Amino acid sequence: MAYSNFTLETVRKTFQLETDEAADISSDIESVDPSPELSKILARNVPVAMGINTEKAKSEMIVANVLLELRDQFERRISVFSGIDFNVDAESGLTGVCDFLISLSPTQFHLETPVIILVEAKKDDPTNGLGQCVAEMIAAQRFNKEKGNNLSHIYGAATTGTMWQFLKLEGTNLHIDNAVYSIGQCDKILGILASMVKQKA
Amino acid sequence: MAYSNFTLDTVRTAFQLEIVESAGAFSEASPVVPRAHFTDELSERVELATSSGTEKARSELIVTDVLFELRKHFDHRISFFSGIEFSVDAEQGLTGVCDFLVSLSPILSLLEAPIIILVEAKRENLITGLGQCAAEMIAAQRFNAEKGNDIPCVYGSTTSGTDWRFLKLEDKKLYIDRTIYQIAQCDKILGILASMVEQKA
Repeated sequence: MAYSNFTLETVRKTFQLETDEAADISSDIESVDPSPELSKILARNVPVAMGINTEKAKSEMIVANVLLELRDQFERRISVFSGIDFNVDAESGLTGVCDFLISLSPTQFHLETPVIILVEAKKDDPTNGLGQCVAEMIAAQRFNKEKGNNLSHIYGAATTGTMWQFLKLEGTNLHIDNAVYSIGQCDKILGILASMVKQKA
Repeated sequence: MAYSNFTLDTVRTAFQLEIVESAGAFSEASPVVPRAHFTDELSERVELATSSGTEKARSELIVTDVLFELRKHFDHRISFFSGIEFSVDAEQGLTGVCDFLVSLSPILSLLEAPIIILVEAKRENLITGLGQCAAEMIAAQRFNAEKGNDIPCVYGSTTSGTDWRFLKLEDKKLYIDRTIYQIAQCDKILGILASMVEQKA
């Protein structure tokens, strides 16, 4: 059992989550303009990634660049992890590799305070990544508790690179955003991620 | 059986390769100076990729950008693929997913001959990737021949993003360069990749 085995249904049952499947997490959040560099990179990369159309291409050509921009906007006071092992509780199935993870500390050498979990969703549909993302968010919640990190919210995003859907976990209350954003709205996506880093989403 | 199961020894036996090792086999390639923008971004990317250190981070932060730069150098007349299924001959174990693959065709939505460079990303030990890379090169040689694109050489690289090792397959001769190039010499790395595209390496 690992993160990738969870569906939204099994993760809800296993961890007894109260779920709002049509929450409004993002509509009021202000957009943040991407830098000219990111706009240029996305103009180049998005068509290539969509042409190749593998999960790997979309993650490395799109998602990684959006997260690097987020890190720059916070003047590198946050860290971005990609493909790390994140084993928190094997008995509950909270083990596996995280596609991407944002942490509220500048160190890149080890994970200190995970705040946003990102999952690469399969088959061109962000909803396919929701179960896995929630399982990793629960693991991040436990990880922070054990470390004495006092974070009231853990956030998540299930993304195909081109489509993004956001989540929020507060105690055992899970909010799934009712909107799905396309990478064409990169300013909105950056705004949402930034407000998550600030724990304001 | 798939590409990843091959070691250098098993691939040599299975396909009766003659292995020729030498130092500096690709040293004659003229350097290709990357654009300033690429160099500026590279240091941040290298720093991030090496601190979390995963194969995924190294691929998405460094290797992808090097290949984009290569594509730019050839005015988009070449294509590269990331994470695609490349199955050529299941009986002989020539199946699996290739980390990166460069084709001389500009088409992105479909893999077309001739395939010229196969890149295998590894977390660190470049030797362990040699067998897998060589197997993919043999598959590319067959794929090209079947499509009537009988180009004389197929090239390969095993890379951690920061270190690059290069190979060449000509008929049944597999040339392995003992020299390892570091990303600090990215003009040299781009030069070697460009000479491969031009079939001059």
